[in-house]
Amino acid sequence: MKILFLQPNLGAWSTFGKHCAPNIGQAQLAGLIRQKHPEYLLKALDCRALGYDDKTMLSEIEKFNPDIVHIGDILHTTGGAAVVYRYNEAAKLVKEKFPKVTIVASGLVYASAPGEILERNPQIDYCIVGEHDYTFLELIEALEQAKDVSKVAGLSFRKDGKIVLTPYRPLISDLDELPFPAYDLFPMDRYVGHTYWKGYVETWNSRGCPAGCSFCYEWSQFDTRSTADLKFFRARSAKLVAEELELLADKFGMKVVCMMDDCFNVSRRRMEEFLEEAKKRNFAQKINWVFLGRAPYYLRDLDLIKEFRSAGCIMALVGIEVATNEELQEIGKGITVEQVKETVAKLRENKVASILTWMMGFENDDEYRIKKRYEAIDEIDPDICALQYLTPMPGAPIWQKYIERGWVKFDDLKTWDFHHPVVPTKHLSIEEIGNLGAWALREFYSKPGRIERVLYSKDYHPLVKLCFRDFMQNVSRFEKASKHQELYV
Amino acid sequence: MSNLMQRDIHITAKDLLNSLQFKEGDFGKITLVSGQVQRAEACLSYLENPVKNFSFLGYTFWTGDYKGKRITVGNGGFFSPDSAFITEMLCVGGVDILIRLGSCGALREDIDIGDFIIVDKVIRGEGTTRYYVDDNFIPYIDKEITKNLFQHFSKEAKVYQGGVWTTDALLRETKEIVNSYIQKGAICVDMVTSPFVTIANLYQKKVACVLVVSDNLMTGKLGFTELAFLDAQEKMVEIVFGFIEDYV
Repeated sequence: MKILFLQPNLGAWSTFGKHCAPNIGQAQLAGLIRQKHPEYLLKALDCRALGYDDKTMLSEIEKFNPDIVHIGDILHTTGGAAVVYRYNEAAKLVKEKFPKVTIVASGLVYASAPGEILERNPQIDYCIVGEHDYTFLELIEALEQAKDVSKVAGLSFRKDGKIVLTPYRPLISDLDELPFPAYDLFPMDRYVGHTYWKGYVETWNSRGCPAGCSFCYEWSQFDTRSTADLKFFRARSAKLVAEELELLADKFGMKVVCMMDDCFNVSRRRMEEFLEEAKKRNFAQKINWVFLGRAPYYLRDLDLIKEFRSAGCIMALVGIEVATNEELQEIGKGITVEQVKETVAKLRENKVASILTWMMGFENDDEYRIKKRYEAIDEIDPDICALQYLTPMPGAPIWQKYIERGWVKFDDLKTWDFHHPVVPTKHLSIEEIGNLGAWALREFYSKPGRIERVLYSKDYHPLVKLCFRDFMQNVSRFEKASKHQELYV
Repeated sequence: MSNLMQRDIHITAKDLLNSLQFKEGDFGKITLVSGQVQRAEACLSYLENPVKNFSFLGYTFWTGDYKGKRITVGNGGFFSPDSAFITEMLCVGGVDILIRLGSCGALREDIDIGDFIIVDKVIRGEGTTRYYVDDNFIPYIDKEITKNLFQHFSKEAKVYQGGVWTTDALLRETKEIVNSYIQKGAICVDMVTSPFVTIANLYQKKVACVLVVSDNLMTGKLGFTELAFLDAQEKMVEIVFGFIEDYV
């Protein structure tokens, strides 16, 4: 059995400049398959990292001659749902040239909207519904042994011209049972983050988030038959996470890792253990890390923030999305503005840069609300802000409401990268939202004082300044995406 | 009671300084004056034991030590009227050498965003200096400081030496007006240098100006938030302190 993990030649988010990391979902799948079936031949073809165009992609596939081609991504930060468009297009080319190859898709959108995907994409043979690890493994085994795939839970495919869905597969409870990702299959020397971070990698060591906000993109990794899967938080032990980072540093020469877990700091004990491991392994000297967390947890762990820099943490992300407590309640975020403000201040006090994510395009948004929201973001004054447009993803609790209103339709997803507004609000057209987004990001990144504070800081790690520089350099790309539909993913 | 003013003058630079509790000797002999607060703060970061001289109408000055020399730094105005009264306060307050760290628009296609211009000629196009000198007055730069500044900048950056035209009207830089000043020898335009130099000349102080290019009138390129411009501002401060260490 020969399995190829395919990453077509994608771009990246408009504000990210040159940015590519190993497809962590595929690396984890490959690790699991190799553990269970060392006899299988595996190959990762990362055309994005290698700069291969579609023609070279096909010729590389021809050389390997796979039985199975896997497509899909688990991280929304690669390019939101817009990556699905690129995967589907690549799959079309593969199927045209190699009709006998079986194409399997998993991850964002595929996991939550298999019917819509299979209906529109005859080139895809199987969609994995929900969490993909064991479903993929069992599907491969079934295909190899010519067994009935309808016995594999968490799968969708065509049978007698109809799209069928196999039973729900419960989530993995213990992530420690999964092996390390098969990084060695990927061209690790080719990865770069934010244009300047050489030796860049993204990890994914916990799944789910206790908040489970109704608009969250991450719902689209889960089977819609369960309404609680995103909220079921599971995490690999701190020791394994640290071991993985150490492996990335020592074996692959990685220098910066962004831990893309939805919420890395859910458990204080795990944070304590990880910081201890990081200091013991001297990460500050060999691999710097960035993580995503929630404001109340940062504040719960104020004493731990003091240890971040000595453990190698240079930057931390916190989400606010909207900027009044009333709006936060409206979207069910479960935090307060004051918590976010204090988090940003405490991180800065401890020489850790802050990235704040915020959004616009919620159903009640009008120009006044959005401009007031920007004022609040400006006052919170993070070092970097990442703005995204509300994009109802299949599987998110808001999805059905938007469908019923006729505000959204499942199209080719080409612009669904969260840097293009794709839905209106009660008061604003898509075009008006795009204009406001372009205005807001330009305002943020041209404020005298903030620029100098970060760019020429004597406190922050040099990698932070390079990241800020990259954001500044790419503000005009965000404007072009927001206002003129330019594509960067 | 007369409807006409009877007092000779409403307020002088000395009156202003007195009102700010300024004492003789509070300023250093050398001052670095910027328009942007951030540029002034970058200068401040080089000083040891800085103390604030005053903060007035948004203009703030500090004096501290740098390699054994007392230096005064601050933001001295964006435009001619504010630059004029701040410069006069500095002169009356006792500084001997004034160096402007400013920004400008280039009037030559080959001068890029982030390049430097060491001013050797000032062309008056603003209205403020008319209150100080007659129309025939030609402001002059200290030649020795200028020569040394040019040498320092040449070692580390792309630098030009030439004339600056100071205007009052950012949005009236029309082809006709701009070309007439190019013909008079300007290679860049700003909104500060003319009163800065003129008033320093009136008080017989040594004066020089370094400008970083923020935009280009010939190509239409705007670089106010470009990294090349921001980085050059930092570099400008670094080089000027190197100059102070070696020369002053």
